[in-house]
Amino acid sequence: MAYADSPENAIAVIKQRTALMNRCLSQHKLMESLQHTSIMLTELRNPNLSPKKYYELYVIIFDSLTNLSTYLIENHPQNHHLADLYELVQYTGNVVPRLYLMITVGTSYLTFNEAPKKEILKDMIEMCRGVQNPIRGLFLRYYLSQRTKELLPEDDPSFNSQFIMNNFIEMNKLWVRLQHQGPLRERETRTRERKELQILVGSQLVRLSQIIDDNFQMYKQDILPTILEQVIQCRDLVSQEYLLDVICQVFADEFHLKTLDTLLQTTLHLNPDVSINKIVLTLVDRLNDYVTRQLEDDPNATSTNAYLDMDVFGTFWDYLTVLNHERPDLSLQQFIPLVESVIVLSLKWYPNNFDNLNKLFELVLQKTKDYGQKNISLESEHLFLVLLSFQNSKLQLTSSTTAPPNSPVTSKKHFIFQLISQCQAYKNILALQSISLQKKVVNEIIDILMDREVEEMADNDSESKLHPPGHSAYLVIEDKLQVQRLLSICEPLIISRSGPPANVASSDTNIDEVFFNRHDEEESWILDPIQEKLAHLIHWIMNTTSRKQTMKNKIQFSLEAQLEILLLIKSSFIKGGINVKYTFPAIITNFWKLMRKCRMIQEYLLKKRPDNKTLLSHYSNLLKQMFKFVSRCINDIFNSCNNSCTDLILKLNLQCAILADQLQLNEISYDFFSQAFTIFEESLSDSKTQLQALIYIAQSLQKTRSLYKEAYYDSLIVRCTLHGSKLLKKQDQCRAVYLCSHLWWATEISNIGEEEGITDNFYRDGKRVLECLQRSLRVADSIMDNEQSCELMVEILNRCLYYFIHGDESETHISIKYINGLIELIKTNLKSLKLEDNSASMITNSISDLHITGENNVKTSSNADDGSVITDKESNVAIGSDGTYIQLNTLNGSSTLIHGVVATASGSKLLHQLKYIPIHHFQRTCEYIESQREVDDRFKVIYV
Amino acid sequence: MLLLALSDAHIPDRATDLPVKFKKLLSVPDKISQVALLGNSTKSYDFLKFVNQISNNITIVRGEFDNGHLPSTKKDKASDNSRPMEEIPMNSIIRQGALKIGCCSGYTVVPKNDPLSLLALARQLDVDILLWGGTHNVEAYTLEGKFFVNPGSCTGAFNTDWPIVFDVEDSDEAVTSEVDKPTKENQSEDDDAKGGSTGTEQPGSYTPKEGTAGERENENESNVKPENQFKEDEVDMSDSDINGSNSPSFCLLDIQGNTCTLYIYLYVNGEVKVDKVVYEKE
Repeated sequence: MAYADSPENAIAVIKQRTALMNRCLSQHKLMESLQHTSIMLTELRNPNLSPKKYYELYVIIFDSLTNLSTYLIENHPQNHHLADLYELVQYTGNVVPRLYLMITVGTSYLTFNEAPKKEILKDMIEMCRGVQNPIRGLFLRYYLSQRTKELLPEDDPSFNSQFIMNNFIEMNKLWVRLQHQGPLRERETRTRERKELQILVGSQLVRLSQIIDDNFQMYKQDILPTILEQVIQCRDLVSQEYLLDVICQVFADEFHLKTLDTLLQTTLHLNPDVSINKIVLTLVDRLNDYVTRQLEDDPNATSTNAYLDMDVFGTFWDYLTVLNHERPDLSLQQFIPLVESVIVLSLKWYPNNFDNLNKLFELVLQKTKDYGQKNISLESEHLFLVLLSFQNSKLQLTSSTTAPPNSPVTSKKHFIFQLISQCQAYKNILALQSISLQKKVVNEIIDILMDREVEEMADNDSESKLHPPGHSAYLVIEDKLQVQRLLSICEPLIISRSGPPANVASSDTNIDEVFFNRHDEEESWILDPIQEKLAHLIHWIMNTTSRKQTMKNKIQFSLEAQLEILLLIKSSFIKGGINVKYTFPAIITNFWKLMRKCRMIQEYLLKKRPDNKTLLSHYSNLLKQMFKFVSRCINDIFNSCNNSCTDLILKLNLQCAILADQLQLNEISYDFFSQAFTIFEESLSDSKTQLQALIYIAQSLQKTRSLYKEAYYDSLIVRCTLHGSKLLKKQDQCRAVYLCSHLWWATEISNIGEEEGITDNFYRDGKRVLECLQRSLRVADSIMDNEQSCELMVEILNRCLYYFIHGDESETHISIKYINGLIELIKTNLKSLKLEDNSASMITNSISDLHITGENNVKTSSNADDGSVITDKESNVAIGSDGTYIQLNTLNGSSTLIHGVVATASGSKLLHQLKYIPIHHFQRTCEYIESQREVDDRFKVIYV
Repeated sequence: MLLLALSDAHIPDRATDLPVKFKKLLSVPDKISQVALLGNSTKSYDFLKFVNQISNNITIVRGEFDNGHLPSTKKDKASDNSRPMEEIPMNSIIRQGALKIGCCSGYTVVPKNDPLSLLALARQLDVDILLWGGTHNVEAYTLEGKFFVNPGSCTGAFNTDWPIVFDVEDSDEAVTSEVDKPTKENQSEDDDAKGGSTGTEQPGSYTPKEGTAGERENENESNVKPENQFKEDEVDMSDSDINGSNSPSFCLLDIQGNTCTLYIYLYVNGEVKVDKVVYEKE
């Protein structure tokens, strides 16, 4: 008998023969139908079928044979006796059809109790040896296993297991042999085919696990050793990987727990190419599932359950040690996932044991060193990234075994923080990695630690819900050492340069470096997200240490301890070199916060324990110390950044001066102001920056209160005004000096209880105010540019009005006469401004408007209604408080897009408009004076 | 038309981020047509990115801790060397409807935060609404027909202005008086210190005397003595007191013709409060 030449034909033949067989059966022509069956089964002899096609045919045939089997069972023993038939089918010509028929008849017979079950089973399994072709043999044995599934004797599990194991062993042999069939170049194909067939072999182990049920003795003594022996002996890569995986999957996790040693030992004897990590990971998964189940069943089971007391980690640890010793050839790519699996295990079983983790990291460290760190390839770099930043999804990080995980992220945060502070080896491994990888990892870690959303959510929750102990959502920093460890982890980021990425070709790099340096000197600011993150980290550490702990036994950091931590941070971040300009301001802010705290403690002590001088002096010393530290920080920025951020340094000094003043430390405040002046004198070169800085100094000085003693204030404000009068540009001089006039005219600070009209000891000296205004007027008058000169005069007029409102002439020395004189001067100047203008006709209107009366006002607005050129121009340019022109751009004429843009007065059109600035400003000032007449009679004598 | 006014973020120098609830409120694309940053808000990449997502029409004025020029990223630098750096102006003017809105960060206004000085500036800039910042305290008032708005600090950052001086409340007294009762040995010292405590308001009363450095050496040991034991957590120090009692806040201006409806958003105790003020130009 021959088989069909193609699978399609084969299916046709099978279907046809099945139909014939069924017809014969319905006519009770058993012999004929067996004939058809035999022909049908011949198709399974085809050696050219791929496993897939073979399986297709097998499935159809299986169904047909089920029909046959049903007939055989229904008609026994009326029409035939199955024992006879069993003999009869032995005479089928070919071995494959013969055995299929035999099994069909045999298993049908097994359904009857009278049958000699064991004999038949033994006979069938023996006869199966007759087929030694791997694919055919595998399917035949699979057929046997499928048919006998329900029919094994119920009372003899040991026989059953032997039966299945026997079948399994033979199948495995066939399966392995398949690998070595055919020409060498088809090896790949063979391996692929084998993988397609693996389920047939695996099914035997599934059957075994069903039979064993919970019979651990049998499993341990008979089954596992036999299977493992087979696995080891076959020395076949595919087989070993697959079978161990199946073993781990199908048998009960409790069994694994008890035979852990044996299982792990087995992996030591495998083919060197087997990826052990997969097997171990599967095993770990099972064991972790076990823990999860136990905890679900009984959350308090931890102490009572015997298995949980087992030193599971110890077993794995011993195994890893041996493995590392015996298999030095294992690559990092294999070794790291292996260790990672054990980490997963350790986290599940011993969530709070960081010694375990340290041991594991130590091992990886050793391995990495042995391996030679230069050999770390890109792939293993990725592995390290996953390992070190705990991206493995299997890590179901929970913070404690007893409490259900509140939120996995929070727990991961706790975990990583503990890890950093407890596992030295972790840091060492990190240090072995390439800089770019270190940065990536640290970046990741900081992100996890500072996950803010979770914190805020916890913040809201904490009031409504009480967290179980040990499960607070916040991280708790316990001591300095933890901070130190954290900081040392962050070092790669701290020292990272904000240069171009390393992979840029070297020639480009040089150009870029030059470019960057150039810009640094120009005081540009390059945004650096990494350094920004580090600044956040500083705040995070300080906030964490200053947070009040709700639980009583938790550590509350004293001010001094916090100061120590801050100094620790400072000494760590100073390594960043030029990066300190990003990070030190954050450190300084935290110093400032501690100062305020210190002050509060002092105030408290003064109220509550005025007797305790030691404490008081302790804190006042602490406060002074802190100012010294801040001063050092500022100097550090100065020294590290060359001249690139002098403006920042000046302002930090000023802020310190302000704070010191508020804390009534006048000497310190004076020193910081002096520092600011020194920077101003020596390092600020740009005239714009100078003016702004000077105004800021004046603003700061005006709000000080503690410096009046010892004439500190006097000397500072005189110095400030003097600097103002020496600025490069005359218009800057003028503005600086009229603003400095405020230094002799203190105004209320309501926060400290001062109130205009009630407080009578304001620092005020009207004479000096007037002097300043006169001086700035002289400067304004001396400016050749008439339009600028006019504008400045109007600004001075506005200052005069400020003082006029503020006090009586006797105090302010700003008299009505003076103001009227100034107004006259401005009018005269504005007239000459008109004369300068060539197109006199255009401006006549507005000059006439200068004699402002109520009617004239109306006239101006009616002009506006005409849509005249002037009003259009009027609204396009304005002058800023520092004398820069602001041009209003109306883009697209749309309603939204108007930008204030600093424009240098270029372009004749614009130049033309500039003349209107003082004119209109004066106009507005006059309007203001008029409107004030309604509320203040004194204004009535100002003539506009 | 909606104009968002943000000021004094001080990220990363003094604060880490806006409150999450603020961020959620503001993360509505295409709603707000313009953003005004009123100083000290240009040093954070993330913050600027966030603002840019609200609207790419941003007006920036310079605060004391901003650099003179707009910051750039490394990428910008590498890709576009030729582009001139944009200067951050001191003042800026936005025209919207019938209204002109001036922006300034407030650090060049002398005296700081003085309404009359601000009025003079508004006059100089010829604006109807003046937005200013630098004080970290949200404020809005009308003066001489002009509207003055300070959105406060959007992060509630540390503020170096004078903090509000608090008196210790009576309730504290009851609790803490038990903790500490002056012992008789210290009677003489007690008198001295009382003299000091009456001078709390006077400047200079805390100036440490000469020779305190010497005393400090002994102090560590003496701290161990029971009468000197003192726990700092007795002192009630809230974060907001330390930062200068400011809550995170920002302002949203809805401008229609010559009317501006101001919405003030304040973040207090984890909740967002909204206030509304209407200004109409005469």
